[in-house]
Amino acid sequence: MTEKQDLYALLGLTRNASPEEIRRAHFEAARRLHPDTNRAPGETELFLDVQEAYETLSNPQKRTKYDASLPPEKALGTLLDQKILFSRQSLLRSDEPQVIYVMMELAAPVGLKTRPAPPLNLCLVLDRSTSMQGSNMDVVKATAVQIMRQLKSQDVFSVVAFSDRAEIIVPATHSTELGKQEARIQMLQPSGGTEIFSGLELGYNEIVRNVNRSQVNHIILLTDGRTYGDESKCISLAQQASKQGIGISGLGIGSEWNDNFLDELASLTGGSSMYIPRPQDIQHALLDKFNQLGKAYAEETRLEFESSEGVELRYAFRLQPEAGLLSFESPVMLGPVIWDNSLKVLMEFVVHPEAVQRTTATLLNGKVSITLTDQLPPLKSIPIQLVRLVLDETNAEPPPVEIVHALSRLKLYRLQEQARLEVTAGDYEQAAEHLSRLATHLLAQGERGLAKTVLMEAENIHQRKSFSQQGGKEIKYGTRALLKSGQSAEE
Amino acid sequence: MMITCQNCQHKEISGAIYCSKCGAQLIDAHVSTHKIRTAETRREVERSTIQLQPPPSPPLQSWISLHIIESGQILPLTDRTEFTLGRSVEGQPIVPDVDLSPHNAYANGVSRLHAAIKLVKNQAVIIDLGSSNGTYLNGVRLSPHIETLVAHGDLIYLGKLKMQVLIN
Repeated sequence: MTEKQDLYALLGLTRNASPEEIRRAHFEAARRLHPDTNRAPGETELFLDVQEAYETLSNPQKRTKYDASLPPEKALGTLLDQKILFSRQSLLRSDEPQVIYVMMELAAPVGLKTRPAPPLNLCLVLDRSTSMQGSNMDVVKATAVQIMRQLKSQDVFSVVAFSDRAEIIVPATHSTELGKQEARIQMLQPSGGTEIFSGLELGYNEIVRNVNRSQVNHIILLTDGRTYGDESKCISLAQQASKQGIGISGLGIGSEWNDNFLDELASLTGGSSMYIPRPQDIQHALLDKFNQLGKAYAEETRLEFESSEGVELRYAFRLQPEAGLLSFESPVMLGPVIWDNSLKVLMEFVVHPEAVQRTTATLLNGKVSITLTDQLPPLKSIPIQLVRLVLDETNAEPPPVEIVHALSRLKLYRLQEQARLEVTAGDYEQAAEHLSRLATHLLAQGERGLAKTVLMEAENIHQRKSFSQQGGKEIKYGTRALLKSGQSAEE
Repeated sequence: MMITCQNCQHKEISGAIYCSKCGAQLIDAHVSTHKIRTAETRREVERSTIQLQPPPSPPLQSWISLHIIESGQILPLTDRTEFTLGRSVEGQPIVPDVDLSPHNAYANGVSRLHAAIKLVKNQAVIIDLGSSNGTYLNGVRLSPHIETLVAHGDLIYLGKLKMQVLIN
């Protein structure tokens, strides 16, 4: 039996799905694939398959018979190589909370031949406010044109520009028909303020017209300014986009933009955020992002779980391919799995006494859903369950080196994160202290430039009770970039 | 069972690996000592019956000095009667009295707290502090945590790091 004929996979379900889950999955798939509304070729046939699958799975007798005919369930292995490491081999039966780290690594299966790049459905949402005047605008335009020329025949491309209001510069067009659109990009003139929502909304509309799960749907937002008052509207739009498999990545130029906001857009949708300090770095960053999209094996991975009683996911961070903070609540958008670099996520769980009463404790029970770019929808999913034994004594075994190394880097990012929270809370003393600790670690690791910036910011906080726009970003994205080097600095 | 950070006294809940306040590592110091194969050390130790030059005379102000064979450097130990030998690591509260990091300690398999040298009843002794790769005295591996007399000219291995004891 080939994978496409697996009725559960067809509905994006695992084999232990409840009747209610089956009903819901069918409803969603049927609505999306209905011949009246579907878009891509092949979807009508898929719709019929989905109907058939539902007929079998919704009938208990037929389902039992079908289950018996299935080959033993293949693990995630056939779709993704996975590796899960725990910081401790067992938990302690204790009346105090304890913490455990889990590192999850997902990669394209070893030995699988690299397939050609997936089709892209890409929209560039470009800030054209007055502040972009000069080299920023010139580089952005030139890079947009460069990307346009690198598109492959199956790609769909659109460009939206925004200031106080937004305008479609290039409507969603198949790359073969783009023809004279280059000139329209070249004619962009900066003027006006920055209202991100108007731009994001138009960009979203262009993407949605061609949205299709078997391609990479992505919005790249490029801005140098701060948007006022419409953040929450942007966030709801991002949540909507995320449900439809559309990623959003934010590229911030200079020091004025709102980094927390762009980080949130990215973490909600499985995209990434990037800090571009100088105009000359725009081209590199934008092309990098574009190339990254073309390397997707799985366009999107999503961790859905039910929280167990007494277990709290306190922190989740993607270490690679693109470092970034993740959501701590289900669903966690993990982002794409690319061909040449695994997806690595580090999670921190706090386990409270009520969770360690029995012989085992479940940290997380859920599934990883993935969208493979070269296969027809719907999502495929793999059950995932993180369970540890509970013992009466401490296990002395040291944590895996990989986890220790990752944490040795992540702690730097988290020190600055804490300092930020403390500044917001008005605890300037503590913030400055955290920063000076951070500087010590950075100095010891030979990061003199960054250490100096950190010390200057500590001084700044004493005097002006806030981070400077630029320093704050340099520290945040500087410590984040250190994660990329992957190697531990401790040794 | 809370963990107290040795560096800043901050309390962390059990299972934490780094202190969230100061970033110091909280777990056992030996976790990441570079492992070298025992056989490798043995071979090195056996080969080391090489003729040593007559030991250079130690500097006067110290009762004992260590002659690092590889670099030829002499480390005088002054002012105290007990010294810990090891390798400092960024973010670690444990700093040995004699930090061997500049002498390629990591690659040679020196633990963070590897061994100690003490003056007991006017005699020098060495104690292995439960190091990962062991302490060897004239080619013999020492049992951890047991004092062994050392004499002028003795050859000590901390993992693979060779040094000669010079007693004044």
